[in-house]
Amino acid sequence: MIEVYNLWKQYQRPNWALSGISMNIEKGDFCFITGPSGSGKTTLLKILYREIFPTQGQILIDKRNILRIPDHKIYILRRLMGIVFQDFRLLFHKKVFDNVALVLRILGVPQKEIRRRVFYSLRMVNLHNKMWEYPKHLSYGEQQRVAIARAVVNNPKIILADEPTGNLDTELAFEIMTLFRRINKKGTTVIICTHDRELIRHYGKKIYFLYKGKILRKESL
Amino acid sequence: MIHQKFLFSAKETLNNLWEFRGRNLFSIFIICLSFLIVGVFLSLSNNFQHIAKQIQENLAIVAFIENDASEENINAIRIRLENSPYIEEVHYITSQKAKENFSHKFPELRSIVENLEFNPFPASIEAVAKDNALSLEETIDFVNEIKNITGVDDVQFNKDWLERIQAFSRLAKIVGFFLGGILVLASFFIISNIIKLNVLARKEEIEILRLTGATNLFIRTPFLIEGMVLGLLGSSLSLLLLAIIIHIFPLYLGSSLGALSELIRFRFLSVGQCFGVLISGCVTGFIGSYSSLARFLNI
Repeated sequence: MIEVYNLWKQYQRPNWALSGISMNIEKGDFCFITGPSGSGKTTLLKILYREIFPTQGQILIDKRNILRIPDHKIYILRRLMGIVFQDFRLLFHKKVFDNVALVLRILGVPQKEIRRRVFYSLRMVNLHNKMWEYPKHLSYGEQQRVAIARAVVNNPKIILADEPTGNLDTELAFEIMTLFRRINKKGTTVIICTHDRELIRHYGKKIYFLYKGKILRKESL
Repeated sequence: MIHQKFLFSAKETLNNLWEFRGRNLFSIFIICLSFLIVGVFLSLSNNFQHIAKQIQENLAIVAFIENDASEENINAIRIRLENSPYIEEVHYITSQKAKENFSHKFPELRSIVENLEFNPFPASIEAVAKDNALSLEETIDFVNEIKNITGVDDVQFNKDWLERIQAFSRLAKIVGFFLGGILVLASFFIISNIIKLNVLARKEEIEILRLTGATNLFIRTPFLIEGMVLGLLGSSLSLLLLAIIIHIFPLYLGSSLGALSELIRFRFLSVGQCFGVLISGCVTGFIGSYSSLARFLNI
């Protein structure tokens, strides 16, 4: 599903944010990328959704070299993915429904279908009863669940989550992780960047340990 | 699918217009002012054109007869004019009749003329041209032809006025387009900057749209529509204000301009010109918005 070959990234000389990363993530994998702050987790994720370019290396997603996709066609890659951020990145002036519906509106899905799919996604994260509220009236955990509902509403092949539990307490973090596990069981490839060892111990199946931009070790449980 | 996307873009445009109504109103005001200036000069130019047309329609050619011209010469001139396809009617005015006409039209100068020992007014033949029968160039050719007939001393017609009025009309248009052009350019930059501010305010939303798979066109469309709507509203408002000015101007100035009031009169724009102003407004808004997005929205 995702093949990364000899990936290097340098923001500023002489430091390398990523040094020769290679990894292979299969379809349906539930994968963690972990490491201390500054180890290159977010950089790796940003390269995977083509927010930034690597200095060197190749990445194939769904057998397609994503570095060769022209900028104006990058939406094709992004539609394969659902992205979840630590800071949720919700639109606070729009209701929960509209936040989740945004992805479908981009695709021009008919209104009736949007209602059906948004409701289904919100029910999955157990927020269907808060559909018409504004995100600012929700707790952090609920806001993150809205972000997850938005990421899955289009049935993406891959979910990329960057520190999705970074702002949450342990209980909520476990709740969110259970949710990701449920999504993964439906066949979606899930890649989560986190430095929370507790979560990895509990949910880790395939784990990449990053340190100073290098893969220190890889574990498959 | 396209219908759904367009509906979403239209809704986003309305949201943007309402949310940033302060700065949007400012840009509408500037666009309105720019097009109002163009409109005022265009309407002045329209009036000059109208006057020029009236003069052209009532074109009178006067052939002054030499004092020693024989009866045959006068008849030959008369016949030449009467047989011309461009001439509606011909009148022969004797020198005595010309003197009487002058005394009648300018009674205060009558004594001067009557005290003269001779009649200074030559006999003449006045010819009224048919409506729109001749263009200005054709008229000049025709006048030159009459001048060459034996017995004709000089030929006059209200060509000078026609030329002057047409020159005024051109000048009004040029001044209007020059001043308006500068202001339209200014409004173009203002729209560009206002859209830039709106893009900045929506930066986070644009970022989310990009990450969730929106195409560039999808992201840009609401801003482009917004620019066009601002341009359209500004130019429509300028037409409305122009109509009000045209209505109020004569009432306000009354007859204080005297004979000038005929010249400095606004004549409302033609339907084509109105459409031109509206389309220009739209285009200004679109280009302003597009250039801002191209420079600022790095997508």
